[in-house]
Amino acid sequence: MNWLYELARRLSMLVNRRQFDEDLREEMRLHLELLQEEQVRSGMPVTDARAAARRQFGNETALRESSHLALGWEWLEQLLQDANYGVHAMLRSPAITMVALLSLALGIGANTAIFSLMNAVMLKSLPVKDPTGLILFGDGLDQGISDGFPNPWLFSYPFYREMQKRNQVFSEVAAAFSMTDRVHGFVEGRSDAEAMNIQLVSGTYFPMLGVQAALGRTLSEEDDRTEGGHPVAVVSYAWWAGALARDPAVLNKKLKIGPTIFSIIGIAPPEFFGTKVGESPDIWIPLSMQKEIPPGWGGYNDQMFESLHLMARLKPGVTMAEANANVNLLFQQIVRGFSTAPLSQENLLKLDKTRVELNSMATGFSRLRYQFSEPLKILMVVVGLVLLIACANIANLLMARSTARARELAIRQALGAGRKRLIRQLLTESLVLALAGGALGVAFASVASNLLLRMVSDGREALQLSVSVDLRLLLFTLGVTLATALLFGTIPAFRATRLNLTDSLKDGRGQSCAPAKGPLAKALLVSQVALSLVLLIGAGLFVRSLINLAKVDTGFNIENVIRMRLDASSAGYQEDARLFMLYQQIEEQVSALPGVRAASFSGFTFNEGTWNNGIWVQGYLDGHSETDVHHNAVGPGYFAAMGIPLLVGRNFGPQDTATSPKVGIIGETLARTMFPSGSPIGKYYGRGGPEHAGDIEVIGVAKDVKYSSLDEEQQPGDYLPYSQNVRYLNDFVLRYTGDSASVISAVRQAIHDVDAGLPISDVMTLDAAVARSITNQRLVAELSTFFGLLALFLSCIGIYGLMSYTVVRRTNEIGLRMALGAKRSNVLWLVMRESLWLVSLGIAIGVPAALAADRLVVSMLFGLRANDPVSLLAGAGVLLAVAALAGYLPARRAAMVDPMVSLRYE
Amino acid sequence: MHRDEIPPGTLYLLILKTLARSGELHGFEIANSIQRVSDDVLQVEEGSLYPALQRMLIKGWVTAKWGTTAGNRRARYYHLTSAGRKQLAVEMSQFERVIGAITRVIEAV
Repeated sequence: MNWLYELARRLSMLVNRRQFDEDLREEMRLHLELLQEEQVRSGMPVTDARAAARRQFGNETALRESSHLALGWEWLEQLLQDANYGVHAMLRSPAITMVALLSLALGIGANTAIFSLMNAVMLKSLPVKDPTGLILFGDGLDQGISDGFPNPWLFSYPFYREMQKRNQVFSEVAAAFSMTDRVHGFVEGRSDAEAMNIQLVSGTYFPMLGVQAALGRTLSEEDDRTEGGHPVAVVSYAWWAGALARDPAVLNKKLKIGPTIFSIIGIAPPEFFGTKVGESPDIWIPLSMQKEIPPGWGGYNDQMFESLHLMARLKPGVTMAEANANVNLLFQQIVRGFSTAPLSQENLLKLDKTRVELNSMATGFSRLRYQFSEPLKILMVVVGLVLLIACANIANLLMARSTARARELAIRQALGAGRKRLIRQLLTESLVLALAGGALGVAFASVASNLLLRMVSDGREALQLSVSVDLRLLLFTLGVTLATALLFGTIPAFRATRLNLTDSLKDGRGQSCAPAKGPLAKALLVSQVALSLVLLIGAGLFVRSLINLAKVDTGFNIENVIRMRLDASSAGYQEDARLFMLYQQIEEQVSALPGVRAASFSGFTFNEGTWNNGIWVQGYLDGHSETDVHHNAVGPGYFAAMGIPLLVGRNFGPQDTATSPKVGIIGETLARTMFPSGSPIGKYYGRGGPEHAGDIEVIGVAKDVKYSSLDEEQQPGDYLPYSQNVRYLNDFVLRYTGDSASVISAVRQAIHDVDAGLPISDVMTLDAAVARSITNQRLVAELSTFFGLLALFLSCIGIYGLMSYTVVRRTNEIGLRMALGAKRSNVLWLVMRESLWLVSLGIAIGVPAALAADRLVVSMLFGLRANDPVSLLAGAGVLLAVAALAGYLPARRAAMVDPMVSLRYE
Repeated sequence: MHRDEIPPGTLYLLILKTLARSGELHGFEIANSIQRVSDDVLQVEEGSLYPALQRMLIKGWVTAKWGTTAGNRRARYYHLTSAGRKQLAVEMSQFERVIGAITRVIEAV
């Protein structure tokens, strides 16, 4: 405790420094006067008495100084002094300081921002009890409903119950529907439908995760007993705060979803977003109610309705290996025990080889992670390199500055400044620079991480991620830059203070004074150039990939198409004739609008998921099936609306009704692979087994289209008229002319004239939808280009600085050469040669480095190889050209030297 | 008259003891008192009192406040705190131990 009081006294003396000083002066003066009076009393003349008193008292200034030292604050005073001096020194060369600060800020900010996003997507633990004990069955990447056999990724509800009952390794098992259901429902007391993202979960979901309700209660096993018997809902904190406006009387409030009334029983805690990173459901409802949630899945008792992600919590002490063994044993037993499982000989063989892979769920799971982890890692490396380049730049800057100040330092040393004191001063100045850059970096980081989140969200509703600036990384990057500043501030400080004083006083510019701009500075510059080249070539690859993607023929015409979602299931329609009537009416009304050329419902357009299964072709290779055909159910206007050319045959028409013979239009690839001989028109195929091979007559062949992404292979696909396949079709597409905004509002009106209660959402143009599918590639291309150019800029600054310095140092030599008859062009070349040599060396190192690095990004490239010569040459060419310019400016200055002036200067 | 420099490390002890004996004193009085009580043998370089006093202020052994002298001048008076008294005891015993040891060494036959 004593030291604390002592610190308090020191602090108060520091604060009252002026008072302290005055007190000391006054009591010393009194002492001197009293001494003097004493001498006078003993008979000494007044003038002698003063001298005697001073002699006896000692050196007043020194004593005051040592009293000051007693306070123990001199380091702080010096620090402030040095910092002050540092700021002034920075302000004296504002351009260089700006560049240094900017590169630091961008380096630190970009690293922190990208890492923060990476953290949110890939690394952060779920906000639940003991997340490390959580296990996911499979990888969680599959979404949807499958009847595939065997399926180790998606599971049926009966499978979940069996696993829960029979396992010996988990303290609890839970299930969640693999998709969230986007529905439109009504909040009690409101007349407008609201969009709601519903996540169906087992009753064990919340208890297994150990998540407690913020208000009310969460779902329990009791809510998941009887199919259709538990109309209860837990709402997310965000949805309560937003859509429910923080209604304090939320408990027991009713939600009408489809025809069913649900009761809100609780609010989830604020930090809980579910188990899937990037998706935040608004409402959790027990799986027992799945039939009540539009579109009304009925898989509660269906052994082959594989639609669930399974997760579990390990019992304490159980290892992953034990869990694996137990789960896979049970998987085989349970699936073999299912009465409706297709246990053919072939399937049993497949089952023997199938294993359920268990994964840790500590950080949740996510398609997002699958989608973004590669680009984020690449960007992380890119900004890491930028930080390195920024550090190299700072290092060169600091070295240049302290070298330029060799003379000043020598004078100070000659005047008696201690070496330690000088080094400390130089260090403080470096620190000031690094800290100022760091502060800017912090500010930039928070802006950048929001910007980045918006870039990756791109058009869709913002990704549901909480991206907070990561403190650890911020400290790390700050640490790196501080260390750089300290290191490269120190080296020259040590050198500069080890000078032979007389030499540098005699000549501030001579060769003898400072070798600091020697090999180290050049090595830094060369590595800067090499790193920049790696970044530039990488950026070139990504940009060229993006261009290739944009040139891909999608098979449809993306111009002038609007796509929207109409949610008929939420509006209470069943999959029956009434739904068909609705679709027909809307198509008719909308097609008749001025500005609309064609309109159609469809299951999907582009990048919205697919509906795949096998087909069997009549008379072709007995029993042969194409297993992965992409189906789409469409109206007759679909091909015109999407601009998909019909190559042969006819379109769907009014003659194709629910009762007429079934017809289909197939894609080119399917025509080629399944109907290899002659025209496919008039031939038959079918879905669901060889016995259906005669179901559908081919009436046309359409151009192939892309289904999920621009870089996918051509997929076999077909189109079926929805008149013969009545089902919910959420997509409505139309081709328009003129102004999209006015067309959209007219279309909305027309749809609501047919049914005012039909929710319309996600209105967007098709080209926006296509652009969204390459968000990743664009993000990487844009950011890598930005950082590549930044790196190029920083390197040029480096070259410029080094060459300018060299020119100044060699002014005498240049003057002498010119006096001896060297031409200006010779001098120009003399200086240029050095910078070109350094840059060429950097390129020579950078090219193999880039070739090695680019092999790592090959999965992000499209339509070109990693050693793409165009990107390579372009990168090297740009670098060489810009570097030559940066070297030319100082070289020209050298050539302008007047020999008389420069010789006299010596 | 020959005056001896005070032995190193004993300045605190002398100041503490002087204050303990006389209560409140200002710097000049402390110097004078040391000189007088030691029969003019111990000579404090008077100025060096002040850095020492500042250190003692920080340590919390003494406090200081402004007052007026008999000659009606403003002077800064120091007096001992309880921490100062404790420190005095510590310094005393240390000093005695050292002196005792020195005495034993020089009186040993």
